[in-house]
Amino acid sequence: MIINVLVGIGIAFFAFVLQTSVAGLNRKIVGRLQKRIGPRWYQEFIDIFKLLSKRSVSHGWIFDFGVIMALGGIIGTAMFMPITSNIVAFQDYDNFFIFVYLLAVGMLGMAMSASGSGNPWASIGVMRALTTMLAYEVPFLIVVLTIINLSGTSSMTGIQIFQQTAGNNWFILALPLGGIVGFIALMGMLGKKPFETYIAPAEIASGPMVEYGGKQLGMLFILHEISVWIEVTLFVHLFLGGATNIFEFLIKYFAVYTLANLISNVNGRFKIDQVVTFFYKWPLLMAVTQAVIAIYFGWVI
Amino acid sequence: MASIEYLILILVGASFLAYLFTKLNTYLGSVFTILATMFVFASLAGYGFGMGLDTTVNYLPWFTFNQTYLGFYFVIIIAFVYLMVSFFHPYYLGQYKYKDSYNMLFLLSLAGIIGAFYTDNFLQLFFFFELIIWTTMFLIPQGKSREAAVSYFGFSVAGSVAMLIGIFLIFSSTGQLDITSGLAAISGTNAIIVFILFLIAGFAKLGAFPLHIWLPIAHGNAPHPFSPVLSGALVKLGAFIGILALVRIVPTANLLVDSINLPLGQWLVAILGSISIVFGTLMAIKEDDAKKLLAYSSMSHGGYILVAFSLMNSVAFAGGFYHILAHAIASAAAFMAIAAVARATGTTKMKELGGMIHKMPITYLAYLVAIISMAGIPPMGGFISKWLIFMAVINKGMIFVAIAIFFGSVGSFLYVFRPLAALFLGQEFREYKHVKEAPIMMLIPTFILMGLNVYTGVFPSFILNFINNILGELGYAALNVTSSSIINVFDGQGILNPALISLVFAVGVFIAFIIFILLKKSRSVSLMDTYTAANFVHDEHLLHYSVDFYAPLERLYEKHTNWMTKFYESLAKKVKEIGNLGKYLFMSKNIGTTMLWIITIIILLLWGVAL
Repeated sequence: MIINVLVGIGIAFFAFVLQTSVAGLNRKIVGRLQKRIGPRWYQEFIDIFKLLSKRSVSHGWIFDFGVIMALGGIIGTAMFMPITSNIVAFQDYDNFFIFVYLLAVGMLGMAMSASGSGNPWASIGVMRALTTMLAYEVPFLIVVLTIINLSGTSSMTGIQIFQQTAGNNWFILALPLGGIVGFIALMGMLGKKPFETYIAPAEIASGPMVEYGGKQLGMLFILHEISVWIEVTLFVHLFLGGATNIFEFLIKYFAVYTLANLISNVNGRFKIDQVVTFFYKWPLLMAVTQAVIAIYFGWVI
Repeated sequence: MASIEYLILILVGASFLAYLFTKLNTYLGSVFTILATMFVFASLAGYGFGMGLDTTVNYLPWFTFNQTYLGFYFVIIIAFVYLMVSFFHPYYLGQYKYKDSYNMLFLLSLAGIIGAFYTDNFLQLFFFFELIIWTTMFLIPQGKSREAAVSYFGFSVAGSVAMLIGIFLIFSSTGQLDITSGLAAISGTNAIIVFILFLIAGFAKLGAFPLHIWLPIAHGNAPHPFSPVLSGALVKLGAFIGILALVRIVPTANLLVDSINLPLGQWLVAILGSISIVFGTLMAIKEDDAKKLLAYSSMSHGGYILVAFSLMNSVAFAGGFYHILAHAIASAAAFMAIAAVARATGTTKMKELGGMIHKMPITYLAYLVAIISMAGIPPMGGFISKWLIFMAVINKGMIFVAIAIFFGSVGSFLYVFRPLAALFLGQEFREYKHVKEAPIMMLIPTFILMGLNVYTGVFPSFILNFINNILGELGYAALNVTSSSIINVFDGQGILNPALISLVFAVGVFIAFIIFILLKKSRSVSLMDTYTAANFVHDEHLLHYSVDFYAPLERLYEKHTNWMTKFYESLAKKVKEIGNLGKYLFMSKNIGTTMLWIITIIILLLWGVAL
């Protein structure tokens, strides 16, 4: 059991290092897109360690406690996530719903801490983040329902192995509509434009993050990197057939994150009610259509 | 050896003693109530788990009792909620107008509950139900409004009348008043009618759509210590009646869609449950009163219970039973936390409150733990039950029900967070500077409930094993649970290890804590010392974002929220009109009219005799 926990901690650390590097590389890619040179690829590490080393302010115990609970929840979630179909800390116990709901503990901690700062921008940001969550979760979970119903397992490793078995396609091919919904929902989860409404730096001063600085902000950066890793990895495992070895995983991971980032950089920002109406119009309709086709008619490629 | 009859008699006796004691001294009467409730709970817990209660009847003629796992599960949960709430009585009763009778009615309703779940006869079930309704009806108006009691009573009576007609129908068609054999013997069209009638009773008590109007009114206006009882305990009576109908009577044929494989009646109930979930969630998001918000959340959770019990398989049933427990504990804890705040500040309106965390940190923690469970987030009990229900719905492939349960689950993050942010967090208001943490007596149940919320989420095996007994009693296969609480549903379609999740979460928090503690200590600043875009804000009220928290979301649906209320209003108007017609016809002051009716009735009676 101790070894499993250590493996889990290793996965969480791997998640942090990988996503921070990929995020740095993406800053470079976006720089090139905008005809800039862009920062060095390890710029994100520099930012985080600088923040961690600085002295900061605190708005009371809940402000600190929320940050600890948030980072703890996210690290815990990452520990459950399989990297490939054979690198997993807790075999059999990587149930899909853990990733949705244990992630929510982290988000709750962060929301608590942000509201505890007493800044109205933070509360508005939390409100928008929760509303966005209400928007993207439902279509996404309907697609996942289809996947679990078809593959007969809700374990992330099991879903990967199901797609890797001969005769079964990756779910992005088997359920094309569902794949599109999954990607749009991923954009919402990552808070990429056009669903960036809850961060909105120019509008609500970075929303939940407004009061943070120093080590608290550094910890939230770590939290952000790990949660991005969890969300992108969920997409890779659910729709892209997972991975059989780590290189395959790295390629798929990099491709998905970069694509999301590129789309984000050519988009504007929705208003919060537009986010909700958007997700409850096309993605939900597509998800339901896909589920009806796949479950009731059995038409799966 | 404890006997059910003695327990009921003791409670009835204790209720009159409580009346006398409370008349002497409120505090004394309340402490006596706590002791009486504690005695009953201890006897139930001590003997009931092994079905060791004595069912013989010596002093109560015509009454018969029978122990079932199903009944005991409800009794122990409800008695527990009663016990927890009774600790609040000494601090609240003083302000009520009819405080003498409060403890008496409270204990009498507990007697009704023990009778209702232990009886094996329909007419006694009805009797005990009425006892519960009539006693609690006089408790509710001691709070904020009398209309609340009217609304509660109206819907409850509609439910019990439906149940009574159902009971008569069972008796006339099968000749049985025994609950188990009566429900088993009924068949054909009568079965469909009884199914519908019992479900009306269940929906009315559970506050499910479309019979939900009373729920926010009664919960929101009931006395503060009584709201947890309503939501955590009494609403569950509806679940019990619903289970009797949904599990024991299966009147209709299966749906045509093969992959759903559910009887039509059950499927319709699942849809109604889904509407309850969505409706409750949307209304809760919109609500400004913390107690009404929690009331709408009860409605949404009632929807989950209905969905679970309409799915006809043991995983869903286990999820439903677990949800009854998890919601009872979480909702009682949340209502009690709000009650503690209301006692200190005199209001439950979220826009008038803020920053209570600095004065009442323990109450805050209790509320936090409760809402984590309510939102179905690990490591609390609500996660286990919602997970079981999710797995059952996914396994059935019920897409439209799934939309509702996922929407309700994510929506619950939204509404439970609102009191947390508006009431406990945010700026600390000047007018509440004097507020203190709740007294130690009120913190005892708070701690117990907090512990139980965590326990149900970390080690569910004991409770799930008990639920397996109930499933066996209902004729369903047991859920696969190991002694270390690993749950395996549908042959490996879902495997959950709650203890491991909690362990990993603890490890994560530990790592985060180490990172936090190793870094430089931060400087403490006041809450007013925040980024305000270079504006000088001097009033903390201006920096507290709590009114219309989800305004952009509410705007999308607020025009469509009151059509059910309008429907009931117009229904009430119609009933009033009919009443006026009756008044006009029968209650006339004109002597001639009266004579006419008297003669008509005599003629009719004579005609009846002649026949």
